[in-house]
Amino acid sequence: MKVRIKRQESADTEPFWQEFSVDVNGNDTVAAVLDRLNYTDDLFDVNGERARRVRWECSCMQKVCGACAMVINHEPALACNTFLRSIKGDVLILEPLSKFPVVSDLVVDRSIIADNLRRAQMYVDRFAKADPKKYENLYQTAKCLKCGLCLEVCPNYVKGENFFGAVFANDAYLMYENTQNRKSEIKESFSRHFARGCSKSLACAGICPAKLPTLSSISGMMKAK
Amino acid sequence: MKTVLIIGSGISGLSCAITNAHLGNKVYLVSPGPSERSQSVMAAGGINAVLPGGEDSIDAHVADTIKGGCFLENEDDVRGLCEAAPHIIEWLEKSGVQFTRDKNGEIARRAFGGQSFNRTAFAKSSTGKQIVTGLVQKVRRYECNGIIDRKTGLRFYAALIRNNECSGAVFFDEQKMKLEAIYADAVVMAVGGMNGLFGKTTGSVLCDGYAAGKLFEQGVKLRNLEFIQYHPTTMETPHKRMLISEAARGEGGRLFYLSEGKRVYFMEDKYGPKGNLMPRDIVSECIYNAPSQVYLDISFLGKKLIHDRLEEIYDLCMNYMGLDVTKQPIPVYPSVHFFMGGIRVDKNHETNIKGLYAIGECASRYHGANRLGGNSLLAAMYSGKIAGEHIYANATPKHTEGEFDDILREYEYQFSKRAQSKSNFPADFLEKELAKIMNENLGIVRNEQKLNEGLESISFYLDAISRIQFDSDVSLYRGYRIYNMFLLSKAVVMSALSRRESRGAHIRSDFPEKYGDPLETTARYENGEIIIESERVK
Repeated sequence: MKVRIKRQESADTEPFWQEFSVDVNGNDTVAAVLDRLNYTDDLFDVNGERARRVRWECSCMQKVCGACAMVINHEPALACNTFLRSIKGDVLILEPLSKFPVVSDLVVDRSIIADNLRRAQMYVDRFAKADPKKYENLYQTAKCLKCGLCLEVCPNYVKGENFFGAVFANDAYLMYENTQNRKSEIKESFSRHFARGCSKSLACAGICPAKLPTLSSISGMMKAK
Repeated sequence: MKTVLIIGSGISGLSCAITNAHLGNKVYLVSPGPSERSQSVMAAGGINAVLPGGEDSIDAHVADTIKGGCFLENEDDVRGLCEAAPHIIEWLEKSGVQFTRDKNGEIARRAFGGQSFNRTAFAKSSTGKQIVTGLVQKVRRYECNGIIDRKTGLRFYAALIRNNECSGAVFFDEQKMKLEAIYADAVVMAVGGMNGLFGKTTGSVLCDGYAAGKLFEQGVKLRNLEFIQYHPTTMETPHKRMLISEAARGEGGRLFYLSEGKRVYFMEDKYGPKGNLMPRDIVSECIYNAPSQVYLDISFLGKKLIHDRLEEIYDLCMNYMGLDVTKQPIPVYPSVHFFMGGIRVDKNHETNIKGLYAIGECASRYHGANRLGGNSLLAAMYSGKIAGEHIYANATPKHTEGEFDDILREYEYQFSKRAQSKSNFPADFLEKELAKIMNENLGIVRNEQKLNEGLESISFYLDAISRIQFDSDVSLYRGYRIYNMFLLSKAVVMSALSRRESRGAHIRSDFPEKYGDPLETTARYENGEIIIESERVK
């Protein structure tokens, strides 16, 4: 299989494309393909030129940590959860996420996600037991990987300067339901950093690899007093 | 106000950061990525605690932990852990952790291996992730008012140690491609286990053992390295081995193999109705000795229970194996999962170097020769708290201005040599070799001949590595970590050679006798030599 990768040496250099040929089978994940490329004794591209090994991020390799988020054949996804059998055509195209600054190759700097949750002061402080009927939703919401895929597909999210996206909306819902004394601050922050900027494309809901109930979080916060 | 540097932001690092911040210390919380990337998010099954009501008791929790660990831990330490557990659960609940509830709305508990009562509180099968989410928001509160300063994108390089005292650490900033020193009155290692020595295990690839290996080279003592837990139920997928949580057996899952077309429930045949929930060392050995492929069946538990309590196991098997656990059994085999051995610490989690602490999986404490499921999340929370309290009461402010300039210049020199390397030789190749050596020679059942073969191979590579420059394409980090991963591996193999008995996760076919004197193993590095010593557990 041909693997075409958008590469970049460092943050301040120009990107370029490089193509490789790799033996694969349909049950391989994209993560396994990247591993195979990097474990090759000497890495050559399809033109026989010696190539640098590919930089990409991973930790758990089983879709619970969000590290390996990238754009795979034009669709944002986790490399460890994308199987080659699902790739249309005979070329695998890998690009870094486009909404974050590139560090190198497929590695991007997603620190804006945590920075914005800090800026919006997303914490519980005094705890209040949530309504038991909401436990299941809260449990699912707490599984957010902070991978950034929801921001990548969002037409309203640009650089995270004012609009913080679904990753923030989910955290806001979780904090809101669990706090006793900060509900109005969290609601206000949600209005400022999410509600006013969301055009309801809802692309975030479908892309989430952890299947977070994002729509329910948004609706919960919209109704919140 | 004292300054504390915590290296690693999984559950133990978060717990320590919150404890320090709460007491009034300034915290630097440093890690390669955010807490969501830590191995802690992979912890599935639960956290042990004796909660009010029922017949369970702290005494029983202590006794189960010590017996499960094959009598290699100090009872007072284990008691401290078990006594703290109910308070930890209560505190976690108030931090917003979404524990699974029973029909009365109380925190539900499930059975786990080697325990006399249902003692494991859980959040379906993603307990670690739920705890991380709760702790991250707690830490964020302190970040908002400047008490905790989180730094990500930094890889550990070395500790700053002089006159047997630690005053900070040096990190490699992968974005800026330079070294950065952070000074502190106390330094806490929360860097996880040494999975990387064995290649791809059930855990995170970030837990590679480098930090423990580097500290070892710098004079930090290590303990009981030979005790490596093989989790009985893991599944092979095309890109890694994945854990099938003990929760599956805690909820009633049964192990069997097929003999002439009939199921043989070998654990129940040997150990009775609770046989599937024997401690992990025993189950792993039985699977190893089984005559054919072993399967784990949970299909009979029904779709509702599987969805309500084991949702993540269903997803994992369906996603990576196309296997529907509500209909089919799961083929399982033991695989490296947890390290009972690690950095040697005292009861306050301080190492032999003053001001340097180790917590969570990288520290060797509480679990003896075999850890019980549900005790690792507990120990991660508890050890972070204990270390934090001790630092608050005992750390002394340090004046470090200029004190390490010579060491830093030397590190800069070594580092720039690596960065300028034009070599094409990939460190990854040697990592793969190391994993092969460790898996072949330090398996579930060991013997002197295999261990010596492993030692010989590791010594050969160790000698060669010090003279090789590596390809820095993927990361300079991979180039500099490899030496210390091999050094640590050598200490692990030597520790395994020195323990001439079978105990817990250390099974010697040439020394099958169980339970001689309760000895603990210490590894230290002195004048370029690894020295292994044994002494009676105090």
